[in-house]
Amino acid sequence: MGTFIQLVVDGLSTGSIYAALALAIVLVNQATGLINFAQGGMAVLSAYTAYAFLQLGLPLIVAILVAVVISFLMGAVIERLLVRRFEGGDPDTAVVVTIGLLTLVTGISAVLWGYNNLAFPSLFPLTSVEILGAVVSVRSLATTVTIVAIMVVLQVLFLRTKLGLALRAVADNPGSAAFSGLPVGRLLMVGWGLAAVLGAIAGVLVAPQLTLTPGMLDTALVYALAAVILGGLSSPIGCVVAASAIGVLENLVAVYVPLIGHDLKIAVPFVLIFVILVIRPQGLFGRKVVVRV
Amino acid sequence: MKIRNKPDGVLGIVAMASIIALSLSGCARDGAGQGNGSGSSPGITDTAITLGVTTPLSGPTAGPGTCTVAGLAAYFGSVNAAGGVEFGDGKTRTVDIKSYDDAYDPQKALSNFQQMVSDGVFAVTSGLGTPTNRAFREAAISQQVPQVLVMTGDPLFSDREESPWQLGFVPIYENEGAAFGKLLAESDAQHKVAILSQNDDYGKGYVAGFKEAIGGAANVSVVGELTYEATDTSVDAQLTQLAASGADVFFNAMSITPLVISSLQKAQQIGWTPSWFLPSNTSSPTAILQPGGAGAYPGIYSVSFSKAPQSPAFAQDADVVKFLADLKQYGNYPDMPAFPHCMWSYMVGATLEEAFKNMTEPTRENFMTALRDIKGLQAPLMLEGTAVDTTTDGQPAVSTVLVQKYDGRGYGTVENFG
Repeated sequence: MGTFIQLVVDGLSTGSIYAALALAIVLVNQATGLINFAQGGMAVLSAYTAYAFLQLGLPLIVAILVAVVISFLMGAVIERLLVRRFEGGDPDTAVVVTIGLLTLVTGISAVLWGYNNLAFPSLFPLTSVEILGAVVSVRSLATTVTIVAIMVVLQVLFLRTKLGLALRAVADNPGSAAFSGLPVGRLLMVGWGLAAVLGAIAGVLVAPQLTLTPGMLDTALVYALAAVILGGLSSPIGCVVAASAIGVLENLVAVYVPLIGHDLKIAVPFVLIFVILVIRPQGLFGRKVVVRV
Repeated sequence: MKIRNKPDGVLGIVAMASIIALSLSGCARDGAGQGNGSGSSPGITDTAITLGVTTPLSGPTAGPGTCTVAGLAAYFGSVNAAGGVEFGDGKTRTVDIKSYDDAYDPQKALSNFQQMVSDGVFAVTSGLGTPTNRAFREAAISQQVPQVLVMTGDPLFSDREESPWQLGFVPIYENEGAAFGKLLAESDAQHKVAILSQNDDYGKGYVAGFKEAIGGAANVSVVGELTYEATDTSVDAQLTQLAASGADVFFNAMSITPLVISSLQKAQQIGWTPSWFLPSNTSSPTAILQPGGAGAYPGIYSVSFSKAPQSPAFAQDADVVKFLADLKQYGNYPDMPAFPHCMWSYMVGATLEEAFKNMTEPTRENFMTALRDIKGLQAPLMLEGTAVDTTTDGQPAVSTVLVQKYDGRGYGTVENFG
């Protein structure tokens, strides 16, 4: 029983990493209608930015805050100068552009900081507490709590605030949004800026565990995309639930289903996606897109 | 209905690219053919010899990869500054090194090899990586280009019949695993061992060597054995499962730096504190053990054949002092090396120099003969009790390793477990 609970707890903590990135992807999608494959790379660049300020002697929390502000600007500038040109056109082209951006951003991190694993200090201590016989590190507990808090803020932002409504309106139909007097361009920049902020937080939360390298979030990005599809592109709650479920399920299947084991567990979320999408194409928590004819 | 005609376009591009690739590789082969006609092999003149290194200089393995170039450049930088190497044919030549980034990608390694051939490289050496070195092994054989003293523990490279133009440098995985097994089998106490290994030749080699060495020992039992994939970002579930086995020794045959760090952290968090066996390439004190909090364990064991520059015991050692100075001046590597590959490639330099001294003709054939005739060479930085020996078929240039125990800063050789 102890092992079982430990596996569930470990799965939740792995899932919280996927969830952090998934939330940023959902945010960009809600704000601009795109899927940003570069989200992971941008998050890593933000974490490196925090690292750079740390090297200058700033305290950790200040370095992170500075990096968060810079990330907001970076996200907004990338939207304005690069992504804007592809937003109205073929979505396939935009996807390829963000994949190109991922390669570019990863390359920039590599040129500036190299590929050696850099140790990034954690905001939270490495001590652990016992819950129900399972050992939970304070670090992953705090990470999970932070992610859940961000999820709640996002949910409120989108569904309960004017800004959220405006962001959704712009993503849904830029033309009509402009006619009703919304500053479409600025809202798109804000959407990307906020997503970059979220990415920055995700980056500094996971960097202590994964150690800072340019490709730190590459695998996590694959899982985050799985979580986004599974939970529904329009639902912050959905993607966090999906990410946690993926983390837990992977662990349990690896240990208790010998046929799959630790070597094939990566297939679990994707098999799950096939099954769920056949039954519920909008994802577990997503809104159905209805088109009137 | 909308019909998309993209596939045609894509097919066209792919077809075009294949044609270009085919014609390019055709050209490369022609170019190599011309070099064989004259008296000396490509890449060697009366005053210089050119060596090529394809190794990961970007990507997750770039840390060790960078070291495989830095150590070699440091060694020959110093040799060149003193005038060069006097070859066995009486001519003194300087040694030039060209490095190529393969990012641990076999495809890139193969195209790097073709590039080296057209760049006129005499021999390929020192590069890190089993899949990458395997990717151009057959091409090197068919074009008769030496691919020697490469950093892979794959035994294939030291099999003379299979690999006539190859020779591995570092001990094969089995050598390392066996050294751990032997130490444990000779211990007076009972031991329960948990094993976690990478699901490829690397992990399997370590486990095979280890199991063979503990074969007849009554005091050692394996109580848990799991694997992971090199692409995994977490092995928490495996550690939780292995901790439940109550093992007092944990053999973690893992090659991924961040995973080893997080394993060291995770096991102590869940209250499992066995003694650890770690492979030589993932046991760096500064890059892995310190961030992992290795002090919590009764012992961290690794194997080595090289002096550890970080260790206080070797701080004043003449080899280490010269090595660090060369590395800084010629290797473009001002820091204390975080990976043993810096030391290994420095030794590769010394081994190559020895072969050059015995080369009587400026040909690749003659070089291979000279290289396969080195015995008892104590290269700089080698630990007492180890030596370069290239004369045994089936064994790499270095096949003896000594078990080391972590002392909080560096490593010291140990005779007994515990």
